[in-house]
Amino acid sequence: MRKSRILGAVALLLSVSLLLAACGTPASTSPTTPSPTASSTSPSQEGGTIVVKGSDTMVNLASAWAEDYITGHPNVKITVSGGGSGIGIAALLNKTTDICNNSRPLKQEEVDKAKAGGIDPVSTIVAKDGVAVVVHPSNPISELSLEQLAAIFGGKITNWKELGGSDTEIVVLSRDNNSGTHLFFKEHVIQVKDKKAEYGPKVQFLPTSQSIADEVARNPKAIGYYGLGYLSNQQKAVAVKSATGPAVLPSLATVLDNSYPVSRPLFCTTNGQPKGAMQDYLAWILSPKGQEIVRSLDFVPVQ
Amino acid sequence: MVLAAAGWMTVVILVLIMIMLFVEGLPILAVTNPFSFLFTSQWYPVSDPPVFGILSLIIGSLMITATALVIAIPLGIGAAAFLAEIAPPPVREAIKPVIELLSGIPSIVLGFIGFLLLAPAIQRIFNLDSGLNGLTAGILLAFMCLPTIVSISEDALSAVPREYKEASLALGATRWQTIYRVLIPAARPGIVASVMLGMGRAIGETMTVLMVSGGRLAIPSFITDPMSAMTGRIAIEINNAVFGGLQYQALFAIGIVLFLITFAINLVADLVLEKQRRRYA
Amino acid sequence: MSIVNLTMTENRTVPVVFEENVAVKMRSQAVSLFYDKVEALKEVTLPILANRITAIIGPSGCGKSSYLRLFNRMNDLIWNAKVKGQVYLDEEALYDPKIDVVELRKRVGMVFQKPNPFPMSVFDNVAYGPRLHGAKEMGGLSEIVERCLRQAALWEEVKDKLKGSAFALSGGQQQRLCIARVLAVGPEVILLDEPCSALDPASTMRIEDLMQELKVNYTLAIVTHNMQQAGRASDYTAYLLMGELIEFGPTKSLFTYPRDKRTEDYLTGRWG
Ligand SMILES: Nc1ncnc2c1ncn2[C@@H]1O[C@H](COP(=O)(O)OP(=O)(O)OP(=O)(O)O)[C@@H](O)[C@H]1O
Ligand SMILES: [Mg+2]
Repeated sequence: MRKSRILGAVALLLSVSLLLAACGTPASTSPTTPSPTASSTSPSQEGGTIVVKGSDTMVNLASAWAEDYITGHPNVKITVSGGGSGIGIAALLNKTTDICNNSRPLKQEEVDKAKAGGIDPVSTIVAKDGVAVVVHPSNPISELSLEQLAAIFGGKITNWKELGGSDTEIVVLSRDNNSGTHLFFKEHVIQVKDKKAEYGPKVQFLPTSQSIADEVARNPKAIGYYGLGYLSNQQKAVAVKSATGPAVLPSLATVLDNSYPVSRPLFCTTNGQPKGAMQDYLAWILSPKGQEIVRSLDFVPVQ
Repeated sequence: MVLAAAGWMTVVILVLIMIMLFVEGLPILAVTNPFSFLFTSQWYPVSDPPVFGILSLIIGSLMITATALVIAIPLGIGAAAFLAEIAPPPVREAIKPVIELLSGIPSIVLGFIGFLLLAPAIQRIFNLDSGLNGLTAGILLAFMCLPTIVSISEDALSAVPREYKEASLALGATRWQTIYRVLIPAARPGIVASVMLGMGRAIGETMTVLMVSGGRLAIPSFITDPMSAMTGRIAIEINNAVFGGLQYQALFAIGIVLFLITFAINLVADLVLEKQRRRYA
Repeated sequence: MSIVNLTMTENRTVPVVFEENVAVKMRSQAVSLFYDKVEALKEVTLPILANRITAIIGPSGCGKSSYLRLFNRMNDLIWNAKVKGQVYLDEEALYDPKIDVVELRKRVGMVFQKPNPFPMSVFDNVAYGPRLHGAKEMGGLSEIVERCLRQAALWEEVKDKLKGSAFALSGGQQQRLCIARVLAVGPEVILLDEPCSALDPASTMRIEDLMQELKVNYTLAIVTHNMQQAGRASDYTAYLLMGELIEFGPTKSLFTYPRDKRTEDYLTGRWG
């Protein structure tokens, strides 16, 4: 009996440590051998190593692209790491990356700094990020402003009545902080006015977009958000109004033409026009195959 | 000899795990004092600057685990007693493999069942804003540890000498009186072991909790509030945490807290049993 | 004394002899017992006389235990056991569906072959039955425990160890503790299934003496392997063979003048 209790303790401990063992994989994933500095071998020739660095939002997308691409190009190595758009741009400027993933355009000062260093940043839009805000189909609310969304997700508005709906609690659903969408929504919606604002204390963080879609579909009090790919007629997408424009419903078209406010382009930035292996790689990213991966990861394809 | 070696191996591994937990987790104390880490509930690990307060996670874990145990212990022991003492042997032989089969259901499947069927039911029954809450998670966890509790408790009850049962019944005790006055006390070490193992499994079943506990990061006031558990936090954030970064350290520190709580529970259970054993050895 | 020929089956009778002025406390009437298809007892008809000690003897596997367990319906626990015929306690049919088995077992106590105290203190063992049946700690529970331990001739030996584990007692003491535990429920009949087979001769003597004291107030039935014990300690003896009752009578006459050849063979060791 004593043995079994020791066993119990071991089981508990192991489960804790197994959880933590996952941390062997750092935030950045590298499908091939990692190499800290770029262009040690020339990527402009056929073959060699391409170093990709930048936006956390795009890390999974970039890894998926790389993994798929190298199966067809065994002599190309691609290393992908995250850290943020700013880190990616900095790496491009000091020539430690070949491709910078940025989920925002370069700031003017960054462009100036590049020019001073003899670097010519060329950004290509490789995908778009559009986040739909959804409610239950029975919810009378059909449009919300960015400010109202910020108040809902920041915990300032807690009852549908305050928005002209029925007198019930708002059940606020969000992606968890391991998702790029979580950050994007925080930066573009919750912090639209106040850069210090955070998700409210009552927000429920669900592990997957699918679970948010399912919960919104069955809970009349719920509001949630996720990539356009999860939209269906079981939820109602809310038209979103920015400070300047009209209320716009999310769709591939409105994301592409930039009229839908909760969207952004995602860029790959290179030094000058890409050549050789990099040119081939970027062309492949924009090809139907590469854009299919975009769709499968809930981003909006640009083609 | 082999057993002793295995025993020592276990101890060594345990110590190594402990050391790893502490080495990776303790540095977080450089940015967060232990008090605010343990006793505040702001958890914004990816903000700038990050904030790490895990009180709501501790309370969430305790509430969910307690709910699971409150459901699983009586149900599990009751079912074990039924199987061991009341069901005729053919029925027992038919049911036991089914229970062992149940324990093989992957947690993710139970999680889906919980999400799709149990959560809406709980929401309706208790008229809640959301069916994703601590109660739903607790019930699911109870189901996860039930097979372990039932099958090990059943073994322990069956191993109680038949003479005790006969003596009790011959004295005019009913079956249930016999079960709870004689058999369960006599099988207590095995039953406690089954509960510890069952709980071990339940605590490890992070996915289930993640999917149905509601994921709110505020201190819950009722079991029917959405909440988060420590294990779920670790599981969801660890893949995204920068190796060696603050978030990473904070997650390991949660691991330390989890370890200490588990250790304390084990210790208390051990002491209680030891006292029991001394009395009637 | 009178001789009654009890009819067992249509073509077989067994001579039964017993005192005229003594009450029949329990009796079995043409009882058969089956384990699945195996007939372990074959239409056994037998009286158990009040305030007497009845011994049931016979070779191993002849159905002695099965027979004894009819009287407190312990056979109910064996899921494949089936009973035909009827058993009476004070002329009340025990295998009637209306019978409350729990009540029956309060009236008919049982002591087992192997001493089987509970893993509790001496006191808690004796108090087990009274507590079950509603005695309160305050309402004289310790008086009941003391009285029963005295009746079981154990009080002097354990009065300082009441809070100690029952397992700390010797085998003989444990068996007397089990008797005290039965007495505490307040039974009318005590069934003993080879109560001394695990004990040394001295302990056996103490139990046999105790039985003589108890029969003043209780009716006793004892299963024993040991023919000397049956001869010494019982008033009546029944001889079972292969589930059949062969002979029943006052112990003295059965041992000195067995009426059936098979009884004689068994008693003289020529059996088998
Ligand atoms: N649970 C059972 N299932 C099937 N058969 C049984 C069961 N219990 C007893 N028997 C059989 O019934 C017969 C009578 O058994 P019982 O235990 O009554 O004999 P006994 O005279 O008490 O023997 P012993 O002197 O060995 O104690 C034996 O043949 C035994 O094998
Ligand atoms: Mg026997």
